[in-house]
Amino acid sequence: MKEISTGPSESQLIRLAADGDARAIRQLYDRYSPRVYAVVRRIAGDDDLAQDYAQEAWIRAIRALPTFRGDARFSTWLHRIAVNAALQALRKSETRKKREGPVPEQVPVAPRGGDALLQQRLERALDELPYGMRRVLILHDVEGYTHEEIGDTLGVTSGTSKSQLFKARAKMRDMLTALDGAAQESGAEAWSI
Amino acid sequence: MEHLNTEILARLVDQTPQPEEAAHIAECEECSAELEAIRSQTDALRSLPEIRPPQGDWQGLEARLRSEGLMNDPGRFRRIGLAQTPGWMRAAAAAVLFLSGAGAGALLTSPEAPESLGDLEMPSSAATFATSTSVEAAATAVRVAEQNYVAAITRYQQLLISESGVEAGSDPMSRMAALEYLATVSQAAVRQAPGDPYLNGFLVSVLGEREATAQLVASRGNWY
Repeated sequence: MKEISTGPSESQLIRLAADGDARAIRQLYDRYSPRVYAVVRRIAGDDDLAQDYAQEAWIRAIRALPTFRGDARFSTWLHRIAVNAALQALRKSETRKKREGPVPEQVPVAPRGGDALLQQRLERALDELPYGMRRVLILHDVEGYTHEEIGDTLGVTSGTSKSQLFKARAKMRDMLTALDGAAQESGAEAWSI
Repeated sequence: MEHLNTEILARLVDQTPQPEEAAHIAECEECSAELEAIRSQTDALRSLPEIRPPQGDWQGLEARLRSEGLMNDPGRFRRIGLAQTPGWMRAAAAAVLFLSGAGAGALLTSPEAPESLGDLEMPSSAATFATSTSVEAAATAVRVAEQNYVAAITRYQQLLISESGVEAGSDPMSRMAALEYLATVSQAAVRQAPGDPYLNGFLVSVLGEREATAQLVASRGNWY
């Protein structure tokens, strides 16, 4: 069945947004903000930082829109900008310290079915991972980057990326096991992988 | 039997095991189960959902985009779908629209004003423009219209001055009153035919002129 067009195409939206059109920018934001926010939130490991990083990512993207030539999909292009913005912001942050406070109990996850309890524990374990491991695990296992792409993005070798990934997976496994054990002790619903 | 450590098992999620590792996993239920658990963990990470930004995220971003000049409200031409038109053509179109508005306003406010815009005849030059059959011919027609507009508005001012004195029709308050009237009439017309590009174009042209005149009035506290 032929799809009925109900608004401007994505390429039209991009052209208008590049020209500063408020409605076009809002439509792009509505369409892609959950994806942008998800990746920067996981890299940041913190809601307040995530909001700053997401905003920075959007500013960079809108500023760079006139240079978007459509060689890659817009979502991919935007995602790369978001990842780079979050990673650079973390690197530049001189005041960033290892988080000592309690991690948020719940990350606002968009409803999409699946095991919400499992997702919450994964998010919590991700937040608690050391930064170096976390960024590689997120880029590889969550976002699907190759080790070569991670190497280019982080300025490390693909061997380093692999090594960090295996450590991160192992650490995640330990933390999830511990979280599961704690949940069982407290009488909460048990979950295990 | 010595078990494989977790890091090795984590590697085997997506890499081929060495022969001795494969042999161990085939024999050791504990390591086999642990490998499956790490595989499941990796699959679960891949299917993590998107995350909604917190409330107020858009408002913060919007404020910053505006403060950095990266976002503005749709311009008058964009609102009527002319954003992709070359700038000179937009300027010429505005000039033609304004000329039409000025003519209509003069007729509507004169004692012999027709009862409706439908009574106005299309100028012969406009009819000529409408017959252009190529982009080049249409562009030439628009350039001619632009030149005609400049000549016509100059003549219009000269006639106003010679017939009614220097101030008539040229002081900002008189112009503002005329534009208010035109805005009211054209808004009513657009309400009757909201999809009509000509009426929309005419309205935005009038509103733009009214805005510019209002600023002029405001900037001349002692215009009188």
